[in-house]
Amino acid sequence: MRKFKLFTDIDDKEETWLAEMAKKGYELESVWFGHKFRSIKPEIVTVRIDYRNFKNKEAFIDYCLLFEDAGWKHIAGTKYSGLQYFKQIKENAEDDIFSDAVSKAGKYKRFSNMWMSLAVCYLVMSVSYISGGHINVNSMLNPKLLYLTPGLWEKSGAEFWRRFLFETPFAFFRGFIWLLMPIITMIFIYSSIKARMLYNKQRKASQTS
Amino acid sequence: MNRHKNLPLTETTYYILLALLEPAHGYLIMQKVEELSKEQVRIAAGTLYGAIETLLKQEFIMWIRGEDKRRKVYLITEKGKEVLRLDLERMQHMIRITEGPLGKRPMVRLTKNSL
Repeated sequence: MRKFKLFTDIDDKEETWLAEMAKKGYELESVWFGHKFRSIKPEIVTVRIDYRNFKNKEAFIDYCLLFEDAGWKHIAGTKYSGLQYFKQIKENAEDDIFSDAVSKAGKYKRFSNMWMSLAVCYLVMSVSYISGGHINVNSMLNPKLLYLTPGLWEKSGAEFWRRFLFETPFAFFRGFIWLLMPIITMIFIYSSIKARMLYNKQRKASQTS
Repeated sequence: MNRHKNLPLTETTYYILLALLEPAHGYLIMQKVEELSKEQVRIAAGTLYGAIETLLKQEFIMWIRGEDKRRKVYLITEKGKEVLRLDLERMQHMIRITEGPLGKRPMVRLTKNSL
């Protein structure tokens, strides 16, 4: 079973949701494309999410084994996926994969940095695309220029509408596709700031406790 | 006098360095720390993994070849021993200056009362 549910930040919501799914008999199998579940016997279990990437396979295996030794089975995530999912397998183990607020905050910092580096990539692409002269300001002001069918505007009636509607998606694509990159950049920056705020919140919590 | 920039060590870091006076892999470090601290300090897996990464970067510990090929084994370095020693001296000094004026006995009574 596959479910598409977007979690823009990695706070406890996703962990709680995965625990509820396990209670209904679905265990997370992979997160490569949406959340993919396999059927299991319903169980009450704690799920925790870490954020880490690895240089090589050895480092990844070592990481998974350390968690498994400590009572946390790695259920989803790959060397490069960043998000790593664990479920508790030892009853008497601690109920979190972090034992202090500072290291828990570090997870949000790594997450925030990942979004920021993606945002920088897209920002560079946006700038080069825009400065490369792919945007025709004229066509922004006069969308008629985006339609390339010869003699389209002289036609009338059903013939006009048929051709006009046929070309509209293409014209839209031609005129506004460049907007996509700045929009994606903004979304990444937003995600990064959100994770950064979670990081600051955790850091503060560690200073007062 | 300028103090070493890594002092004072956090309790977690101190115990990990202490545990790594002998070679150990991740889970063994967790067990040793629990034992050394009389179960007062328990380091969770995610926290330990991050701490090991930091200590490797600071060159306070190093990775050595162990029998278990899949689990990485670590050992304290000379630099790590030095910082551990400095933190020990820092704490010894604190104990000395506190024990005199405060006295030893009331402190014992205090812990008994608070239990």
